[in-house]
Amino acid sequence: MATVAPTPARVASPGFISRLEAWPTVTSFIVLVGGWELIGRSLNQPFFPPLSSVLNELAINQAEIMAALGTSLTNLVLGFIVSVVFGVGLGLLMGAFRKLDAALDIYINALLTAPSLVFAPIFFAIWGLERWSIVAVIFMYSTWIMVVNTVTAVRTVSPEMLEMGRAFNAPRIKTWTRIVLPAATPLIMAGIRLATGRAVKGMLNGEMFIAIVGLGKLVKDGSGRFDASLVLAILVVIIVVAFIALWVVGWVDARLTRWLPKTSR
Amino acid sequence: MIEIKGVSKAFPGRKGSEPVQALKDVDLIVRDNEFLTVLGPSGCGKTTLLRVIAGLVPHDTGTVLVDGKPVTGPGPERAMVFQSFALMPWDNVLTNVAFGLEMQGVDKKTRELKALELIEMVGLGGFEKRLPGELSGGMQQRVGLARALAVSPKVLLMDEPFGALDEQTRRLLQEELLRIWEATRTTVVFITHSMEEAVLLGDRVVLMRPRPGRIDQILDIPMTRPRSTHLDSVESSGEFTAMVGLLWNNLRAMHSDVRRARQAGQAAATKP
Amino acid sequence: MSLVRRVLDSSALYRLIALAIFATIWQLATLSHKSMLIPTFTDTMAAIPKLLIPGYSGDESAKLWDALYQSNGALLIGFAISVALGVPFGLLIGRFRTIERFANLYISILLVTPMAAVIPLLVMSLGVRDGAMPTRVILIVLFAIVMLIVNSRAGIRQIDPSLIEMARCFGAGELSIWRRILLPGSLPAIMTGVRLGLGRAITGMVIIELLFIAVGLGNLIQKYDAQLDGARLYALIIIVVFEALVLIQAVRWLERRVTPWRKTTSFGR
Repeated sequence: MATVAPTPARVASPGFISRLEAWPTVTSFIVLVGGWELIGRSLNQPFFPPLSSVLNELAINQAEIMAALGTSLTNLVLGFIVSVVFGVGLGLLMGAFRKLDAALDIYINALLTAPSLVFAPIFFAIWGLERWSIVAVIFMYSTWIMVVNTVTAVRTVSPEMLEMGRAFNAPRIKTWTRIVLPAATPLIMAGIRLATGRAVKGMLNGEMFIAIVGLGKLVKDGSGRFDASLVLAILVVIIVVAFIALWVVGWVDARLTRWLPKTSR
Repeated sequence: MIEIKGVSKAFPGRKGSEPVQALKDVDLIVRDNEFLTVLGPSGCGKTTLLRVIAGLVPHDTGTVLVDGKPVTGPGPERAMVFQSFALMPWDNVLTNVAFGLEMQGVDKKTRELKALELIEMVGLGGFEKRLPGELSGGMQQRVGLARALAVSPKVLLMDEPFGALDEQTRRLLQEELLRIWEATRTTVVFITHSMEEAVLLGDRVVLMRPRPGRIDQILDIPMTRPRSTHLDSVESSGEFTAMVGLLWNNLRAMHSDVRRARQAGQAAATKP
Repeated sequence: MSLVRRVLDSSALYRLIALAIFATIWQLATLSHKSMLIPTFTDTMAAIPKLLIPGYSGDESAKLWDALYQSNGALLIGFAISVALGVPFGLLIGRFRTIERFANLYISILLVTPMAAVIPLLVMSLGVRDGAMPTRVILIVLFAIVMLIVNSRAGIRQIDPSLIEMARCFGAGELSIWRRILLPGSLPAIMTGVRLGLGRAITGMVIIELLFIAVGLGNLIQKYDAQLDGARLYALIIIVVFEALVLIQAVRWLERRVTPWRKTTSFGR
C-alpha cells in the first residue's frame, strides 16, 4: 500500500542542491541573468537596477562588503555551532528520556512555530549591541527544527533493530552508539540541513533588527539611502553564502549516510 | 482470444548502459475462457508482457490483438488486478469497486448496485463503507478483484495479485478466485513467481526466461476442473508434484545461467 | 492507586513542571538583577489581561485589537493569494517533469533567499502609503508561497504510481486522473504545505512590521520597546506567539478533518 503521509521534514528539506540537473539549471541560470539585465535596463527604475550595475556596486564596495561578510560569517558559525550542539544534544536526551520529551515537546513545538524574530527585543534587552544578541537570534531560528528532527529520528529507529541489539546482549551505551545513532543520522542531518537555511536568515534578520553590524547593517543602510543596487548586491552575496553553506552540509550528509539506498535520499 | 505475434519491447537503460530487452519475439495465443498462468524468474519480462496486453506500455514491434482488434491503449474489455492492490485510500470499498464503471460513465445508482453485488461475491458484504486502510491485505485484494470484475471484462489481467499476501491468506484467495472463475469463466492471464500457484490455478503455464525476456515453453496442466472444491487433494496428487518438479528443473537451470552470465560480466569488468 | 499512576504517566504533569521551573528561574533571575527592559514573570502575566480584555485597563486593549486587525488583514489576503497560486503551480511541476527541471533553480533561490532583504526593494517600488497594504501582502506571498509549491509538488510525487496506472487501466482520462487520484492523493502533503506556509506567512508578517513598516503588532512591539515597558512588551510577544500557535493548531485540525484516511500523524515543524 502506498504510504500517503510523507515525513514533512523530508518534504520541505532543501536537499534540492543535489536535485539540480546540469543542463536545465544552466539554462534557467542564463535566463535569470539575461532576464534580470534586460528587464532592469528596459524598466529603468531605481528599485530594480540591471544586474550589471549590481555587480558594479559589488565591485565598488568590495572592501566594505568583505569586512561585513567576515563579521556576519563569524556570527553565523558561532550561532550555528551553538545550535547544533544544543539542538542535537537536547533532541537525543528527549529521545532517550520519555518524561523529558513529555515535559518539553509542546514548548519546543511552540518555539518552532513562533516567528523567531519577535524574540529579538528580548535578546537586545539582555545583551544590547553585543555579538551575542545576534548569535541568540540565530540560535532561535535554527535550534528547534534540529531538536524536533532528532527526537523523531531517535523515536523512529526500527524496533527490529533495537530487538536485534537486545538479542545480542548489547549494553545500553553500545545500543546507542552502534544502532540508534547511525540509524538516526539521516533524519538528524535532514534537520541540520533545514537549520542551515534558517540560520542564514536568522543571521541577516538579527543583524538588520539590531542594525549595527555585518551584511544586515549594509542592507539597512542601502534601503535607508534608497540604494537598490547595494541591497541587491548584498542579497546576491547572501544567496551565494546560503548555497555554499547548504552544499557543505549536504556534502557532510552524503559522507555520513552513504549506506542509504539512493531512492530514499 | 488474445493473439500476440512477434512482440518485442526494450526499455532505455540507465545512462551509459545499453537498453534492456524486456521482451523479444514473443508469440502467444490466449484462448477464450482459459486460465493462463505466466511464470518466470525476475527480469524475464512477465510483468511487461501483461502491461503490453493491458495497453499500459506500447510495444516496439509485433502485434497484440484482443478479439481481433489491435491494442493501442487500455480498454474496457480488459481489467487489471495489481500486486500492490492500487486502492484509493481516500475512497471507501464501495467507491473503489465502482471506479471502473464510474470511468465508463455509468450512473451512480447502477454502478453502486453492481458494485454491491461484486462486494458480496468476493465475501466482503457489510464492509462497503470501510476505507482500505481499515482492511487486512487479503481483504484489500478482494476489493481489487471485485473492482476488476465489476466492469464485466472479457479478460482479467492479474499481476502477481497474491504476491504481497501471507501463505494462508493467499490460499484462501486462490480458492476464492477459482470459485469465481469456475462460475464466470472469464479469460485470465495470471502472472506469478510461485510454481505451485502457477500449476494449481492454470489450464496452461507459460514459462518465460530472462535476458532477453522470451517464452521458454508452454505446459498443459492435466488436472481436471473444477478444482476449487478440493484444492488440497489437487496439491497432493502425483500430477501436481510432477508438474512443479518439471518447472523447477527448468527454472534452476535459468538461475545458474544468470549466475554464470553475471560472473562472466564481473570478470570482464575487473580486467584492466 | 490507578489515579496516581495515571497522573504520573500523563504528559500534562511534566509539562506543568517544566513551565513551573521556567517561571521560577525567570522570576528569581529578574528579582535579583533588576532591569528596566526585563520584567518579572508575574508582571508579564499581569500585563496579558490588560492588553487583551477591553476596558480592563484604559484603551490599551483597543490598541492591541486594532493592531491585530491590521496585521491579520494583510496576513489573510497574502496567505490566500499564496495558496491560490502556489498549490496549482506545485501540482503542475509535480506532474510535468520538464517544467520542473527548469523551475528547480528558481525554487531553490526562493527557498534560500532571506526575504527580509527583499523588503527594502518592495518598499522602494510600492511605497508605504495607506499602511503599505500592497507591500505587506506581496511580502507575505513571497514568504509563504515556496512552502506551498514544494509540498504540493512532493504531494504529487509520492502518489503510488500504480494508482495512476490503475486509473488508466479502467479508462480514466487526464481529467479523471486529476480529480480522483492526483488531487486527493496529494491533499495530505498540500495540507502540510498550508500549515508550514502559514507559519512562514506569520513570520513574514512579523518581520516586515518589525524591520521596515511599523504598523500593526510590529509597531506596538517597537513602541513598548522604546517606552522601556518590559512587561507589556513581553506580554505582547507572548500574545503574538500564542496567536501563531492557535492558527497553526486550527490548520492541524482542518488537516485531520479533510484527510481522515491518513493514519500516520506528522510531526510539527
